[in-house]
Amino acid sequence: MRRKLTSIANGAVPLGFVVLLLVTWEYLVRWKAVQEWILPGPVLIARTLAGNLPLILKHTQTTLMECLAGFALAIVLSFILAFVMDEVPLLRRALYPLLIASQTVPIISVAPLFIIWFGYGIMPKIIVVILVCFFPIALSLLGGLAAVDREYLELFRSMKATRLDIFRMVKLPLALPSFFSGLKIAASYSVMGAIIGEWLGAKAGLGMYMTVAQRSFQVDRVFAAILTITALSAALFALVALIERLVIPWNRLTEWRDS
Amino acid sequence: MPKVVAEGIKKTLGGVLTLQEINIEVEEHAIVGILGPSGCGKSTLFNIIAGLMRPDQGNVYIEGAAVTGNAGLASYMRQKDLLLPNLNVLDNVSIPLVLKGMPKKKARLEAEQHLSTFGLQGFENYYPSQLSGGMRQRAALLRTYLYASGIWLLDEPFASLDAITKRKMHTWLIQVLGQFQPTVLFITHDVDEALYLCDKIYVLSECPTVVKLEVEVPFSRPHHSHTIVDPAYGPVRDTIMDALSI
Ligand SMILES: Nc1ncnc2c1ncn2[C@@H]1O[C@H](COP(=O)(O)OP(=O)(O)O)[C@@H](O)[C@H]1O
Ligand SMILES: [Mg+2]
Repeated sequence: MRRKLTSIANGAVPLGFVVLLLVTWEYLVRWKAVQEWILPGPVLIARTLAGNLPLILKHTQTTLMECLAGFALAIVLSFILAFVMDEVPLLRRALYPLLIASQTVPIISVAPLFIIWFGYGIMPKIIVVILVCFFPIALSLLGGLAAVDREYLELFRSMKATRLDIFRMVKLPLALPSFFSGLKIAASYSVMGAIIGEWLGAKAGLGMYMTVAQRSFQVDRVFAAILTITALSAALFALVALIERLVIPWNRLTEWRDS
Repeated sequence: MPKVVAEGIKKTLGGVLTLQEINIEVEEHAIVGILGPSGCGKSTLFNIIAGLMRPDQGNVYIEGAAVTGNAGLASYMRQKDLLLPNLNVLDNVSIPLVLKGMPKKKARLEAEQHLSTFGLQGFENYYPSQLSGGMRQRAALLRTYLYASGIWLLDEPFASLDAITKRKMHTWLIQVLGQFQPTVLFITHDVDEALYLCDKIYVLSECPTVVKLEVEVPFSRPHHSHTIVDPAYGPVRDTIMDALSI
């Protein structure tokens, strides 16, 4: 009982702090310490968000679709690459440095190319999402596969398991926790990738909504978009975390304590 | 004819001559201990006998046939239980049957019959992380048994257990060995464990490793968990200790 109260109190402290911050912010704006067209107060932002909700939701839908499509394709590509690199050591040695080196190219700098090549539809956004998600996913998967204890492999070879058996029964399940840590990073990246793609030119999406609001100095709308994007990011992260709990339940079991 | 023979085994690992010349013979149904300092190549020798690794020279024979480099002829168990964390006990121990092509359901039924012998009854749905160290090793041994090769290579199977659990495992293992009559090679650091369980003991030297001593254990495996009081115990133990300490 006391522990429960403490944990509620622990949650209440940061929450109270946030409320205090919001109230201070609101009053600063009301006392004209800051101009409303530079920094609108939380109440106005909330009102804008509510008033524009149907429109914002429509744009959210587009962005979410780009995220999910890019995310899913990045997972598929990562699996193919990780499997091949893990099975063929020569390929691993050839590709691994390239994979790392490719990360020195900022995605933002190449994104305009995709707009030129593929136009203003959702395709170039999906490509940007794939690019930002691919690296953390592929690397975490490869790392997980490589970290599998050699003794497991020897044991399974001693039982005449085929390479496919070993990949399916041993390597993949043992690599899953590492894979999911990469997946959680990629989930937040995916939203960022889609927004950047939309900034560069789009027909729909939260990034496009944001640029339009920005050009007309509707700061309250920009804030509403920021809020929505943050929520979307958090939701995707939570979704991956939920799937992780479902897929690898054994990771959360209470350990036996020898005593 | 001996069941398992390793003849003139030589192996260089990473440029270091690890196994210089190893000759070992194991009679059918015998329990043979391998004692030796850490890093002398005991596990390497097992990998060679299990066919996971080829020796530079020498041969492995099983029932007289040369099987050097052929994997899958012996059941292998290590110090680490190597149970898969994502499978429950029953699915873990069924693995060798499934790998042999048995349908999952049938493999589970087959494995289930042995749970009580291995002290795992009622724990079939537990994940390995929920089991004690002793239970995990018993599950690993059940998996080894279900591979059904008749030859068990046990590489320090109880080395990570506390003294009391280890003692219980010995008593239990003797009963299991009596029931299934496998041919066993048993690596250990523990001289008393070797004397307690084995019919014959090989003592290996430091690298480059040769067989330093081969002794028949002059008393039979006890069917109780008490201290062995046979008068031959002290002298044999001293001979082994002397061979190990140089
Ligand atoms: N694959 C390998 N490549 C190079 N050196 C190895 C390899 N495996 C083991 N070794 C080395 O060979 C020696 C013998 O190892 P091992 O057979 O595990 O010894 P033991 O089981 O007797 O402790 C050790 O020094 C170890 O570091
Ligand atoms: Mg060893």
